[in-house]
Amino acid sequence: MESEAPAEAGQQDAVGHHALEVSGVSKAYGPTVALEHADLSLQAGRVLALLGENGAGKSTLVRILSGVVSPDTGEMMVHAAPYKPRSITEARGSQVATAFQELSLVPNLSVAQNLLLPRLAKSTLGLVSRRQVLTRGEEILSRHGLSRIDPDLEVSQLPLSDRQRIEIARAIENAGRVLILDEPTAALAETDWIFEQIIKARQRGVAILYISHRLAEVREICTSATVLRNGRSIATVGLEQATDGDIFEMMVGHRVDTTRQVAPKSARDPKPRVQVSDLQGEALNGVSFEINQGEVLGVAALEGQGQRALFRCLAGLTAAQGGTVQIDGKIAGYRSPRQAMHFASGVSYLPEERKTEGILTGLTAATNIVLPFLPRIAKMGFISARSEEATARRAAETVEMDKRYLSFDIADLSGGNQQKALMGRTLASGAQTLLLFDPTRGVDVGTKESIYTAIRQFAEAGGSVLFYSSELPEIVQLADRCLVLYDGRIAREFSGDDIAEHRLIAAMVGHSETEAA
Amino acid sequence: MTFSKDSTQDRSAFAQTGDARGVARVSRETINAIAVAVICIALLLGARFINPALGSWSQVETVLVLGSFLVVLSFGQGLVILTGGLDLSLPAVITLGGIMATNWIGMTDPTAWYLLPVVLLACAGVGLVSAIGIVWLRVPPFIMTLAMSIIVLSALLGYTRGSPRGGSPDAATALMKSSVLGLPSVIVFVIGFVIVGWLFQSRSVAGRYLYAIGTNLDAARIAGVPVVLMQMVPYVISAVCAGIVGIMLVGYSNGATLRMGDDYLLPSIAAVVIGGSSILGGRGTFLGTVGGALLLTTLGTIISAIGLQIGLRTIIEGLIVLTALLLLREELFQKLGSLWR
Amino acid sequence: MIDTTAPLAPSAARQVSAATLLRRVVQGGGMILFIYLALYAYYGAIEPRALRAHSIADLMNNTVPLALAAAGLTFVVLNRGFDLSVAGVISICNVTLAVAPLEGPGGAALSALMCLAIGATVGLVNGLLVGYARLQSIAATLATMIICQGIALVILRAPGGFVSEWIVYEMTDRLWGVIPVSGLVVAAVLLVWILIRRTDFGVSIYAVGADEQAAAMSGINVRRVRAGAYVCAGMLYGLAGFMLSAQTATGNPNSGAPLLLLAFAAVALGGTSLAGGRGGVFASIMGAATLMLLQKVLFSSGISSFYTGMFQGSVLILAVVFSGLIARIGERK
Repeated sequence: MESEAPAEAGQQDAVGHHALEVSGVSKAYGPTVALEHADLSLQAGRVLALLGENGAGKSTLVRILSGVVSPDTGEMMVHAAPYKPRSITEARGSQVATAFQELSLVPNLSVAQNLLLPRLAKSTLGLVSRRQVLTRGEEILSRHGLSRIDPDLEVSQLPLSDRQRIEIARAIENAGRVLILDEPTAALAETDWIFEQIIKARQRGVAILYISHRLAEVREICTSATVLRNGRSIATVGLEQATDGDIFEMMVGHRVDTTRQVAPKSARDPKPRVQVSDLQGEALNGVSFEINQGEVLGVAALEGQGQRALFRCLAGLTAAQGGTVQIDGKIAGYRSPRQAMHFASGVSYLPEERKTEGILTGLTAATNIVLPFLPRIAKMGFISARSEEATARRAAETVEMDKRYLSFDIADLSGGNQQKALMGRTLASGAQTLLLFDPTRGVDVGTKESIYTAIRQFAEAGGSVLFYSSELPEIVQLADRCLVLYDGRIAREFSGDDIAEHRLIAAMVGHSETEAA
Repeated sequence: MTFSKDSTQDRSAFAQTGDARGVARVSRETINAIAVAVICIALLLGARFINPALGSWSQVETVLVLGSFLVVLSFGQGLVILTGGLDLSLPAVITLGGIMATNWIGMTDPTAWYLLPVVLLACAGVGLVSAIGIVWLRVPPFIMTLAMSIIVLSALLGYTRGSPRGGSPDAATALMKSSVLGLPSVIVFVIGFVIVGWLFQSRSVAGRYLYAIGTNLDAARIAGVPVVLMQMVPYVISAVCAGIVGIMLVGYSNGATLRMGDDYLLPSIAAVVIGGSSILGGRGTFLGTVGGALLLTTLGTIISAIGLQIGLRTIIEGLIVLTALLLLREELFQKLGSLWR
Repeated sequence: MIDTTAPLAPSAARQVSAATLLRRVVQGGGMILFIYLALYAYYGAIEPRALRAHSIADLMNNTVPLALAAAGLTFVVLNRGFDLSVAGVISICNVTLAVAPLEGPGGAALSALMCLAIGATVGLVNGLLVGYARLQSIAATLATMIICQGIALVILRAPGGFVSEWIVYEMTDRLWGVIPVSGLVVAAVLLVWILIRRTDFGVSIYAVGADEQAAAMSGINVRRVRAGAYVCAGMLYGLAGFMLSAQTATGNPNSGAPLLLLAFAAVALGGTSLAGGRGGVFASIMGAATLMLLQKVLFSSGISSFYTGMFQGSVLILAVVFSGLIARIGERK
């Protein structure tokens, strides 16, 4: 039944017909407005891109369209009929389906079972038939060019890229009219397969909403884009007329200045603080480099090139499988972040995932800041509220965080202020080497500036910084030197004014030196 | 549930303005503790109207003495729950403490008070074994403490051949039966215990570490909390508390039985939960737990004084736990919060 | 093999690594079945009478209440929940049967239905509290358990009363002198379980236990599945209470309490993961059987029954550590 529905719908709908109309949709969680006013129009057989910064309201809009949450106000129409889904199943009933960014596959069920959820194929007795489930699963897989995947395999056994493909295939199966793809290429190395699937769906008259951070990819498959900013849909533009600069301006609200602001370091003798040689690990194939005192070393890489493993290894979270790390000339033998903080001149780590690895919800921002060095401010093992507050305030000042936020539960602060608190904590730990993993992910422009300033001041005072960023302009602005990781190795190293976006990109995608130059 | 977690993320990501929200949330636990205490007092005073014999000072004393067992016990249970665990071995360890105090000390020399610390050390040993199993061997706390409970009780059964003998050591009797400055000395002891426990949980470095671990283990590890050690500490403390309760019970009833701890496991969890702690860990205060323990004891005393049969008493207790749970739901607090605004 | 979450491939041609296979066998009850058989072989060797129909039926009768309680608990644990109300439901059923004995086969059938209804009601309350009111399962079922214990005490204040003779004799008897009736009850439960496993509900229980959010996003009604699991669990506790009453022949308002912790031990011993989504009813029943058999074996070996618990506890820890190791090896692959 489900397999035939898309084809049927396709015959009815002419290309260009309004498939999904969204007008004035808003959503607030308590006092916070996640989505203020969004308008959107999807046409059958067309692909529309949804663009916006982190936190612009994209994920809330996706949740509303998919039936996960209900909007507070606004109207939605699918094929001219009112569309008010209260659950994913109801959305599917209107032939609207979503491939979620966080993947919605159940790990302990088979591929075929996942493809058919929530209603599996039954035999004549009304019981789930293993054989029929497999057959149906196989059919769906082959329809989407995935017949190489075993439908009987448990999803947890699949690599992430295949899980993403199955997530997409399932969404396409259920999307007769509207297909929503939320960051569908996050785990895919190439776009051929997905574009092929999108074109096939388009030909059937399915309207597609395509959400991606990768502008090049968006330009390839979409004709127009709707831009969200601060919870409002700003504009819908034809992608052929708009330059990247125009689009960024719409997303951020002002021109983005990516000129290099780093003053060339005075040529004093570089004193190495961290020496890494031939580091081997899960995703590391022999990485060697040095960080000097007073130096900001950037790391640039595409997703999953070993940067995460490198940082976690240096932070003491995972053990290296080979190679050595020396701090101040001493071979590092620490096995936990705690030991790392106290090893030699200290190593302090700002984690990648703010929500799951960074903040401690339920505790105040002040406690979050002072946690790593509690014993330092304690007397006889006890802490006075005053010394906690005073220490946290000093740390907050280094990142220009408003001190009135210190007594708040950190969960109630904005993402930017949470990040400032964590950054302040990392700086105040007293460690002379900082490992910053994407220190400005998902924060606003003002917070970014505060964090940049704090990093520069720290380096000027003689500290060493290793930082990874998913935003190249940030590396261009901040780094004294930059390593490009590719496939667990250092592909290239740039320093000084050689650090430019186009060079970094060329090295990141694995181009050899001659091509890059 | 997971969706509501997501919505929290959204909420915080967009919270740019407004001032009162954080403070309100953090002090929720304090408000809760005060509320529980007020209910306790109101109940005691209100009971006067039902029966003039109730609500007298001597009855307050009775409640405090009876409640002292639960207060001490639920401190340990509260710490374990704070880190996201659960200690099911409490009844066994209470019995271990009680039986060592009677069969081992009491038989040889009731005046040998200096042997009591050895009893507590033995209890701590049980807690340590549980902790090692949970942290190093990664056995779920529920299973590990359950297994330890079965093992310890069986060992005690074998050691006593089924019938514990001996009397209470003098020190235990003195703690439970004597008085200081006109107050039963156990009340003085418990007041001291509460102060120390509160300082430990809310004001000490170790206490902060426990909150951090209970909130988010990964984040705590990255923040430099000694997670291995600090995950083990609550189980040891909890076992020591259970040992103390065992000795107190021996002093109170001048003897030990093999089932002396049975009636304390569920109340110890209930006291922590009623006191406003999250069973998932990371939330709650010891003062709240003390309030929960006293509330449970007060209710028990009043209900039994009214003369209800034990079955109805139990039902009422269960309903109270349930009501407390429903009232304490996070969502409810958020709803109330939005009404006030 | 009934309980493997991802059934084994029909053809050996499919590539399944040895570690994955080992993990599936362990989590599917293979490990506990092996332990049980080894233990039984040892028992047969030291106690020749062990293999007689009478002793087998005796052992079976002793095991069944715990096995049914553990089977019920499995539904909830698969859902990543806890259920303490098992003790309360068993107690209520037991005292009900002792206070209102109904004679004859019709009376027995009515009694059984009553037990199922009591269990289903308590399960429904749990399911509403956990699934819809979103209370923590351990806290919510703690409350319902206390209430159930109270109800049991109201029905019967002190141990006493008589369970109807028909139930006492027939339910502990052997058919044709060979097949224990209690064994048939367990077999029936297993059959129902196999059927449930082949419904959308059965698959959903595993899905919700493994990843609630993904299950919801896949269109599964998480709340309904969760509530349904508690109801199924409650009905099995009711049946456990029924069989326990046949065994003890008398009423005791605290009769369920000793089964509470043992039921959890049986589930864990069977290899069902407390983290949800892995394991099954068959494994839990074998876990319960192993715990009870262990008692017999220790007794026959001349070890005082005082020390049974030490062995049970140690076996429990070892089994959990072992299956944890296996699971970790499997995940790494």
